[in-house]
Parts: sequence; structure tokens; C-alpha cells
Amino acid sequence: MSELAPHTIIDSRGSSCPGPILDLAMAYRRAKVGDVVELWATDPGVKADVRAWAAKTKNEVVSIDDKGDKIVSVVRIVRR
Amino acid sequence: MTTKATRSFPSSVSFAGDIMKRVLIVGGGTGGTMLANHLDRHKFDVTVLSASSEHMFQPSLLYVAFANASANIVRDERRLLSRHVRFVQDKATLVDLPNRVVATESSGRYAYDFIVLATGADTVTSQIAGLDEINKRFGDYHSSVAQAQKLWRSLDAFQGGTIALGQATPICVCPPSPVEGILLVDRLLRQKGLREKSRLVFFTPYPRPYPAEPMNEIIEPIMKERGIEIMTFFDVDRIDPETRTIISIEGDSITYDLPIVIPAFIGAKIAFEPANVIDADHFVITDKETLHVKGFNNAFAIGDGTNIPTSKAGIAAHLESYVVAKQLAGKPATFDGRTNCPVDLADGRGTFVIGSFTAPVVKKRPSRMAHLMKIMMGYFYWISLSGILDPMFEVYFAMTKPKPRPELSSAKVRQTKVTPRGASRE
Repeated sequence: MSELAPHTIIDSRGSSCPGPILDLAMAYRRAKVGDVVELWATDPGVKADVRAWAAKTKNEVVSIDDKGDKIVSVVRIVRR
Repeated sequence: MTTKATRSFPSSVSFAGDIMKRVLIVGGGTGGTMLANHLDRHKFDVTVLSASSEHMFQPSLLYVAFANASANIVRDERRLLSRHVRFVQDKATLVDLPNRVVATESSGRYAYDFIVLATGADTVTSQIAGLDEINKRFGDYHSSVAQAQKLWRSLDAFQGGTIALGQATPICVCPPSPVEGILLVDRLLRQKGLREKSRLVFFTPYPRPYPAEPMNEIIEPIMKERGIEIMTFFDVDRIDPETRTIISIEGDSITYDLPIVIPAFIGAKIAFEPANVIDADHFVITDKETLHVKGFNNAFAIGDGTNIPTSKAGIAAHLESYVVAKQLAGKPATFDGRTNCPVDLADGRGTFVIGSFTAPVVKKRPSRMAHLMKIMMGYFYWISLSGILDPMFEVYFAMTKPKPRPELSSAKVRQTKVTPRGASRE
């Protein structure tokens, strides 16, 4: 991962409705190709949603880690 | 900035001879009105500053647009406030938090001891190409009564073809309203004998029609049963009124005869000092539990105008107003993110979206009772603003409290100070 890539952290912990995917979609609207977006969430459904979102938008999932108190998903914007 | 004198309403001395604290509430919607009416008149000198003296029950716009409703929509804010509350009709232009003063468009500046920002969310059509043109032509059901009436006329004139309905961006005030809209369109067309001649397309930026999965398990089968086409991950990029096409960021498109596009939402256009208390969409950066505006212990924010990760809905403003009222009275209180949004399934049944920061949305079986409660809320709403129904709400919220997620019930979930929700860049 490039050290120079703008890295946005979105704290969506505790969001149950509409949920973390809202925050990811909003970040995507603002992002540029090359940006890295890190999404923090507590809703376990986020894992499947981030993967489905990346597949649909043809962006790249760098990692999805369950850290116990939060699930951290990192995506790189490669298409916009 | 205005050069007019600062108003401080200096004669604020209580009956007991104590100096009363000045509470300035900016915004006269659900949260602002309810909070004003819940503050002790003997301890606080309360002013509500609002650009309009009209108080609209926003959920009623759904029925104006899709059922031509006309009653019980707007009331005079001054008649909804307790007699001890001072009402000022003016537009706030600058909130200066370090200097504890608010500048307004025409009546000068207002000093305060405590401020509560209940400034709501505004619809905006300029962010997406083509949206303003179709919005002006066809109307919408989130911005005003006039726009909702325009949408009703557009639907009334519709004789068949494709209706495309969805939200322009991922943020939508009243998250169930897109689904309710398409279900009510379906009902209307069936009543008019036009359903066979019509194609209904529901588009959403989310992975499923209703973003919270347990609720979607109820809603998606109903939509499919009624022949509504669903396009997921459809995040509107632009609209071309010439070719009658809505194009998504993801590269999909829909050709429409009647577009019903819910505009984007932003926080109120007020300047803030410091400027970093609002996010990129003008929402006030707010501690989701204490409801303090970032960095200011004498400033709170409630309702649709905050960046708190819960539904932008009247219920949040309602419950947040209790939390702020208690804190101002010196009692500990925190907001738990509780939602309680009724959903009209357009077949005489309804359901509720219930969740919180620590409890996922529950799957609630549709019932006629839930629908009746949604309709009754339109009437209860006005008296609930006074606080008279608080005991009833207390019982209801306790009875319907969602169960916490097991894996998170012991670990307290808090917002980080470094990166509150929104796109802060490191």
C-alpha cells in the first residue's frame, strides 16, 4: 500500500440502521482512484456487505479483520 | 456578520432569585420543540430560534404525495411551545461556540449559556446533474408540502410506463421512506387499474432494498410478490432528463417515464466557529452518547442535523431531547441510539424498525396494529411535543427495548475522538 495514498478512516461502530454500508457508500462518492478507505464497524453483516460492494463496484478489498471489539475493513478505490 | 447589538435577555432571574441559565435552541422541529417544553421554567430562560413559524409533521409528506392527504400536516410553532419559551422567528447565520453567541439574518445576535443545535437536515438537488430539473418538474416527498403535492399531481397524471423510485445518495432522512414510497405507488396503481400497464423499479445504493438485513427479510419478499423490480448498489451519479435516464456510479442505468428521486440531504447551511465542528455534509459532529458538540461542554446537537450513526428520524430527535433535558438538569443521561421507525407496507399492515447502538435491528412481524400505530402517531405527535405523553412512551420503549448483541454487550462501543463518522483524512 502506498504511504502517500489518502487514507480515510470511517468510524461506523454502533450503526445498526441504515448501517455501515451507508458510510462506505458515502466515502466512495467522495473518493478518488488510489484512495484507501478503512471502515470500522460492529455489525457482523458488514463483512459480506463490503465484499459484495467491492465486487459490484469493482474495487479492491485489502483486508477484513475481526478485531473483537470492531471489524476493520480496508478497501482500495481502483475504479470510480 | 451583523453589527447589530447582542441580545442577552438580561432580566432572567428566577422566582427564587437565582440567575437563570440561558438556553438557546436553534431549530423548531421535533427535537427543538420537545426539548424546550421539557426544560424547567424556574431554572432556564429558554429561547427557540427558528427560520419558520410553521412546524411540519414530516412523515405526513408520504401521504400527501401518495394518497393526496391534506390534513394534520403543519401547525404554528408558537402554539406548540410552552408559554415560558420565547420564540424568535429568524434564520441563524453563524454559531460562534467559543464566544457563546449566535448571529441571525435580521434580528441581531443572541448570547447564551447553553446552546442546542436542532437544525435538522435540508434537501439538496444541486449535487447531482439533472436532479434539480426533474425535482422541479415532478416533485418529491421529503422537502415540502408543495413538492409533495406536485408529486401527487405527477402520479395522478401517470397513465402507464416505468416509474423509477429511489434515493439519490446513501443518506436518507427516514430510512424506511423509500420502501414505503414504492409500496404506496404499487397500491395506488392497482387502485387505478394501471398496475398492468406499469413497470416499477426500485433502486438503492445498498446491497438490498432495506439496509438492515433482518428487516429486509420481511420487506424484500413483499416487494417481489408485488412485482417490483429491485436494483441494488445503484448509487445515482447523474440523471439525463433528455433521454429520461438515471445513471449510477456503478455504471447501471434506468430509463423512466416518471422519476421519483429522493434528493440528497445536508445539514443546515449555518457557518460555525470553529469550522471543524461540522463534517463534509454540514452535519454537526456530535458525541453519540453525551450529544455534546465536538469540543464544547455547553453545546449539544440533536435530531437530523447531527452525524450520529443512527436513523435520521423523529424518534431519535425525541429521545435525544430527553437526554439533553436531563443533562441540563444536572442528571446523568446518555443516548443509546434507539430507533423505532414505523413502516407502512401499503396493505393495511405495518412493522417497526427497532435497534440501537448495541442491538441490531430486530425482525418484527408485520401487523395491522403496527400500521394503526403509525397512523395514530400523526395525531399523537402534536400532543407528544408537550411532554404529556411521556409516561406512555416510557412504558412503550421499555417494552420494546431491543436485546443487545451478545458479543458487544460487555464491551462499550464508543465513538473515537480522532475520527468521528465522516470522511476525515489522515
